[in-house]
Amino acid sequence: MSEPIVKINSLTRQYKGASQPAISNLTLEIPVGSVYGLLGPNGAGKSTMVMMLCGLMNPNEGSISMMGMNVSEQGSEIRKRIGVAPQEIALFHTLTAYENLFYFGRMYGLESDKIKSSIENYLEIFGLTDKAHKRVQTFSGGMKRRLNLIAALLHDPTLLILDEPTAGVDVQSRNMVIDFLQQLKTKGVTIIYSSHFLEEAEKICTNLAVIDEGHLIIEGTPTQVMSKHTDCRNLEELFLKLTGKTIRD
Amino acid sequence: MKIRATIIKEFLLLIRDPGGMALIFLMPLMLVIVMALIQDAPFRDYQEMKLDVIFVDNDSDSLGRKIEKAFTVSGNVHLIQVKDTAEAKREVLSGNYKAAIILPHGASESLRSKTGNVIKSIFINMGMAESNADTVYVDKPSIDLQLLFDPAIKMNYKEALSSALEKVLANVQTEWMLDELQAQLSDGAPHKNATKIDFAKLVSIKENYASKKKERMMLNSVQHNVPAWTMFAMFFILFPLAGNFIKEREEGSMLRLRLISGSQFPVIAGKFAFYFSVCLIQFVLMIAVGVYLMPVLGLQQLILGSNVLGIAITACCVAMAATGYGLLIAVYFKTAQQALSFGSISVVILAALGGVWVPIYVMPETLQQISRCSPLNWGLESFTNLFLRGATTVAILPDLLKLVAFAIVTLAISVFIHKSRTIRN
Repeated sequence: MSEPIVKINSLTRQYKGASQPAISNLTLEIPVGSVYGLLGPNGAGKSTMVMMLCGLMNPNEGSISMMGMNVSEQGSEIRKRIGVAPQEIALFHTLTAYENLFYFGRMYGLESDKIKSSIENYLEIFGLTDKAHKRVQTFSGGMKRRLNLIAALLHDPTLLILDEPTAGVDVQSRNMVIDFLQQLKTKGVTIIYSSHFLEEAEKICTNLAVIDEGHLIIEGTPTQVMSKHTDCRNLEELFLKLTGKTIRD
Repeated sequence: MKIRATIIKEFLLLIRDPGGMALIFLMPLMLVIVMALIQDAPFRDYQEMKLDVIFVDNDSDSLGRKIEKAFTVSGNVHLIQVKDTAEAKREVLSGNYKAAIILPHGASESLRSKTGNVIKSIFINMGMAESNADTVYVDKPSIDLQLLFDPAIKMNYKEALSSALEKVLANVQTEWMLDELQAQLSDGAPHKNATKIDFAKLVSIKENYASKKKERMMLNSVQHNVPAWTMFAMFFILFPLAGNFIKEREEGSMLRLRLISGSQFPVIAGKFAFYFSVCLIQFVLMIAVGVYLMPVLGLQQLILGSNVLGIAITACCVAMAATGYGLLIAVYFKTAQQALSFGSISVVILAALGGVWVPIYVMPETLQQISRCSPLNWGLESFTNLFLRGATTVAILPDLLKLVAFAIVTLAISVFIHKSRTIRN
């Protein structure tokens, strides 16, 4: 068995003034080539986890090793090889789709020809070719979300971190994104996928972890996880069983 | 490559922001024109004395004519003849005229008699003439010339008019004493060939400005307002700069840039380079307004002087300082409301202290000292030295170095804050 692409060891992060840690003593490993679902209710600590995985937030305790490098120490080198689609639409709204992607491509340090071919390719895949020269502010939520994902793919990352990539989009856009991620999975790209959509997660994830109040509740392949709770018919029932039915803010 | 890409991105963002474009280019142009027009009259008022003064000549003799002639020659005071003293008082009291000169009846005769007595007294004291029964009082005023002032008259106008009148009277007295002296020396015989001396011409005073230029140069509304408001506009670059920066942070595009590997230097440097260029474009436009548009509007033309290199270097230094300050405001504050409120008020304060609103020489001494801490003052002083005094680049170097140091410090702090916020500990 190959070395995990990500190793998280006893990770703890507590915000200043908070009564309890957002992530508490969390340990897990993400296999190479997997689609790893990071699941949990609001406030579970998923976004904090994503920020630490990207090297934009340092843990109070513990460490993250990614592709054999320590994220806290070699964050810049790691960010070259990962693509991140944050939960926010991280785009310039008064620029066109093409201008946005070209600028981000340049900031990744890519050559003009490479950027152009990547842009054409991904706009085609995500059905945005005819919108290439329209300003992002005129796009629907689904179009923005797809463009947000393309911006994370331009430099062909070996690890893709997606934070709620299908939030607020219509069924068609969601299907398009899920289909693309499945294609990407076949190419060996590792995907860390944070989402509320358990049906989606069940469909594409090879591994998953449920986090709640900063703690790891359960971890494994979907089959392993479900086999531990045979009374649950699907992942949603399991999720509610593990995290409770109380509404989270 | 990354810096160039950021410059292009900033350019696209700005040209698609009509409000930002208006704020950067249109509003400053309007501002400089309006301020130059508004301040034209006060500047002329401050620099040039032009006063209409009522003159009541109840004497109707030579003294009145000499006063009238003297003020006609001076050009600063225009005498309006009025016959009635009461009318003159009414006009001054109503504020229609700032002052009135009232020459009493018999003033010439009285002054002539007085000057004659002075000479006689000298002759008697020196034993050159015999004393007679008439007692000579040389220290008693012989005429009561009245100067009426509007209570609202400026102190400098009042003093200037009083001293001008005293000068005229002194000249007349001296002239008449000389006449009397010649008459006494000729023992009362007619003195057809008496010497006439124009005392005003004995000493020639040539007035010039301590400028290297041949043409007459002085600070006027255009010379003050164009460079002053140009710098104000350049410092207001913080509005689009901070606005866009915080918008990027709030909308998330800044997060993506943080997620991209490598230093954040190209992001900051690209923004700096772009807004620095915008400041220079602002400068060229505003100067062009001063040179070409101001004369069309009936104002003086902006005189730039001959040190073009010095002007270009100064413009670059001011642009650097303005962009550095804008970046610092953009990076430091977390919301647009905080940044723009603090930024705009601070620029207004720096401008007021720096002498943008009014020249610092009209400020109290304490404020003048404080104003020397404002980067706008460093720039304004440099431009004034270049435009009016024909200064060399070396002469303005201290102020330029201060501007560059200010830019470096603000830029360094901005980079430090931006970097420290990229990764949260």
